[in-house]
Amino acid sequence: MMNQTKRLTHITMLIAISILFHLIESMIPIPIMIPGFKLGLANIVGLIALYSYDAKIMLGVNIMRVWMASLLRGMLFAPGFWLSFSGVLLSSIAAILARKYSPMSMYGVSCASSACHVIGQVCAVSILYHQFLMGALLPILLLLSIPTGLFTGMLAMQVLKRIQTER
Amino acid sequence: MNRADKLFIVFLIVLSLLSYIPLLIQDWQNKDKQKEVVVQYRNEEVLREDLRKDATYRLQGTLGEVTVEVKDEAVRVEKETSPYHLCSIQGWVRDSGRAIICLPNEMIVQIEASEPTDNGVDTVIQ
Repeated sequence: MMNQTKRLTHITMLIAISILFHLIESMIPIPIMIPGFKLGLANIVGLIALYSYDAKIMLGVNIMRVWMASLLRGMLFAPGFWLSFSGVLLSSIAAILARKYSPMSMYGVSCASSACHVIGQVCAVSILYHQFLMGALLPILLLLSIPTGLFTGMLAMQVLKRIQTER
Repeated sequence: MNRADKLFIVFLIVLSLLSYIPLLIQDWQNKDKQKEVVVQYRNEEVLREDLRKDATYRLQGTLGEVTVEVKDEAVRVEKETSPYHLCSIQGWVRDSGRAIICLPNEMIVQIEASEPTDNGVDTVIQ
């Protein structure tokens, strides 16, 4: 019984941290000026959820994160929400599949999820604005998703190492 | 990092390079065509001008005035009111397919290729 309470608290705290990351991320200035490019800090929490619990928890954490962050910003069901939502859905599915069916380590899983996040967002933009505008940005965003994917993968790995020694 | 990771990263790089090919083909097809600047505000076309004509256009966006400059067959957003000034930082654009999107002002500046003008004579004769 106690164990289940601990688990619930842990998951809730993961969601809280990821919401915080999601909101803080838009305030960090990035030297490269490309629309749609960001670090994907919230993905670290998603990966931690995937590796310390299971696929269901990760999907829950990520969807709750987008939902709550949009609600806090007051932009629920605005275009920005749909962009985040489609990106997060595709990236979570990619991470889950990559973990289950491939021999890749956390780096590869993180890269797969960040690349799929980009693809999801580009698809959402094309559908929302009825044009193939972001198609021109897809190559460069995909290329940039590799270093950011490696970065988030590395951070998630370090955090997991420390969490596991704490337990 | 293991071998599968490295293979996947190489795969991603190849994928991003491959996704660039349709753009190159499009640019090559549009090379000889006449180009026009098209500005859309809230899904409505507010400006359509020849790209070869150097000019500065002042348009009304959501947050304020947006100044679009056309020079030497290239277009840029010169001045605008927005939190991060992303579209004026983007600079000059000379190819169709690479649009300048200013979401705070709900404005899209785009280059469109059209057929050469000599078939315009035919429509007059008909």
